[in-house]
Amino acid sequence: MRQYPRWPIHLILLFVSSLMLIPFVWVLKTSLSGENIFSYPPALLPRDPHLFFYVDVWYTIPFFRYLVNSAVVSAIVVAANIVFNSMAGYALTRNFPGKRAMILLFLSCMMIPFQVTIIPAYLITKKMALLNSYLGMALPVCSTIICIFVFKASFEAIPKSLIDAARIDGLSEWRIVLRILLPLSKSAIATNVILAFIWSWNNFLWPLVIIRDQEMQTLPLGLSRFLTVVEDTTGALYAFCIMVLLPGLILFLLAQKEFIAGLTTGAAKG
Amino acid sequence: MAFPNLEYFKRDRTRQLFLIWFFLTPSLIIFTLYRIIPLFWNGILSVQFWSPFGESRFAGLYHYEEMFFFDEVFWKVLWNTILFMASAPIGIALALLVAILVNTQIRGRNVYRTIVFMSYPVMTVAVGIIWQWLYNEKVGLINYVLISLGILEKGVPFLGHFSLALPCVILASIWQVIGFYMIILLSGLQNIEPALYEVAAVDGANAWMRFWKITLPLLKPLLFLCFVIGIINSFTSFDLIFVMTQGGPAHATDLLITRIYTVAFKLSKFDYAAAMTVVNFLFFLGLTLLANKLSGGEAGAVETER
Repeated sequence: MRQYPRWPIHLILLFVSSLMLIPFVWVLKTSLSGENIFSYPPALLPRDPHLFFYVDVWYTIPFFRYLVNSAVVSAIVVAANIVFNSMAGYALTRNFPGKRAMILLFLSCMMIPFQVTIIPAYLITKKMALLNSYLGMALPVCSTIICIFVFKASFEAIPKSLIDAARIDGLSEWRIVLRILLPLSKSAIATNVILAFIWSWNNFLWPLVIIRDQEMQTLPLGLSRFLTVVEDTTGALYAFCIMVLLPGLILFLLAQKEFIAGLTTGAAKG
Repeated sequence: MAFPNLEYFKRDRTRQLFLIWFFLTPSLIIFTLYRIIPLFWNGILSVQFWSPFGESRFAGLYHYEEMFFFDEVFWKVLWNTILFMASAPIGIALALLVAILVNTQIRGRNVYRTIVFMSYPVMTVAVGIIWQWLYNEKVGLINYVLISLGILEKGVPFLGHFSLALPCVILASIWQVIGFYMIILLSGLQNIEPALYEVAAVDGANAWMRFWKITLPLLKPLLFLCFVIGIINSFTSFDLIFVMTQGGPAHATDLLITRIYTVAFKLSKFDYAAAMTVVNFLFFLGLTLLANKLSGGEAGAVETER
């Protein structure tokens, strides 16, 4: 194709990137120094960085408690998602009576945003006596339709002859999934881990609805509570922000290649 | 016995079917419990006088009548929700521009992609706090920049302003979701045959025509997907609004979902909130079907059996 000048593209992309990055940089800076925008002259880097606000957050609120709660819920959700979604994804690659109906059902469930179910979902959770519990927080997101289809697409990309060969060799269905399909679906697993983690880690509305107990609050709830307590100029709030968004960011940066690969196969299919 | 193995195969087939359904069961239970039952229960609740203690009584269309004819807040939040949904194409168009640019063979394109996507994995509550502060009247970055550039004389309380608050919240939500749109559209762009562009170029089509005649039509299904995500965003933005404005000032940023939360869990009117949820869901469904029709209808098609 014809050569075109590169610098306008770089210019636009640099502009967009800085718009995306500046909020992060500013929050990081404030969390390290506590100085606000009116410190003169305004500087991009903190002048006198210290970790006081991080320590402050750790000791003034039950941060550790929130962290444990969030970690437990996320661990349940991630584990359940991998197991349940790969099982369902594998089932959907097989032929069985009612398969079309199943796929239709799953796709229509995708059209029911979780948010529109909160009132009955709250009543159901209450009936099951799961209010104020880890399981109650985790259960609604323990299986996600997009991820089922990500697994399905990934399993279908594996040559059928390989599976048939394994079957002739006498491997049971369980072993076929565990020994052949899953090891060959690394990007689908990475996508599942990241999405499940992000969704449960960041989940706010659902815990807000079902958690009344101070002891059971997760990080997002703690963060929003903290917001109502402190003045919004203090560095502690932004230190808190950095501490809660770091795990998601790190996980994403570590596995972004697999994640994007898995997501795009799923998106292109679904 | 001509086929001694037939019985064995039959048994094997039954066993496999059993296994398939066993594999599907956990997901089915979760979706039934938290998607399907709630959907119908919402409908039932919306035509009842519900109370947490006593018996619930049949209410007919009482709640709907109240909502449509006597509740001004409902119309206000419905309008806000429509505006919020209508803003989705702006974010998608921006994301498309970025996706096309990072799809060119320029140096550092992977870095750009990562940076643009980075806002997506961030906790929405934290995004709300960050943006609330960017908009702050006294110490916010946006006011600072506008004052330094001489556009403003003194700080504007963006989130406290009746007509500015909603666009400001929408901007924050676009900021967060734009990377997700970009990744989806990028995957579509990478699936387009480069030969198509070459042929078109040989035939004398300029870049502008190639975009309208090749890129856009081929991206239609993914643009539709982005649009659905954009509409769903009007539900998921609950977190953002709860943190940034709590729906204020005077319902200026209240969406249906935030209003539903308030009515149900603050005012304890579950039945009325359920009726609003039904309206919200039908609205969402109608819009999605309409968009599907406009995008050619292929995006919602169920995969056919192979």
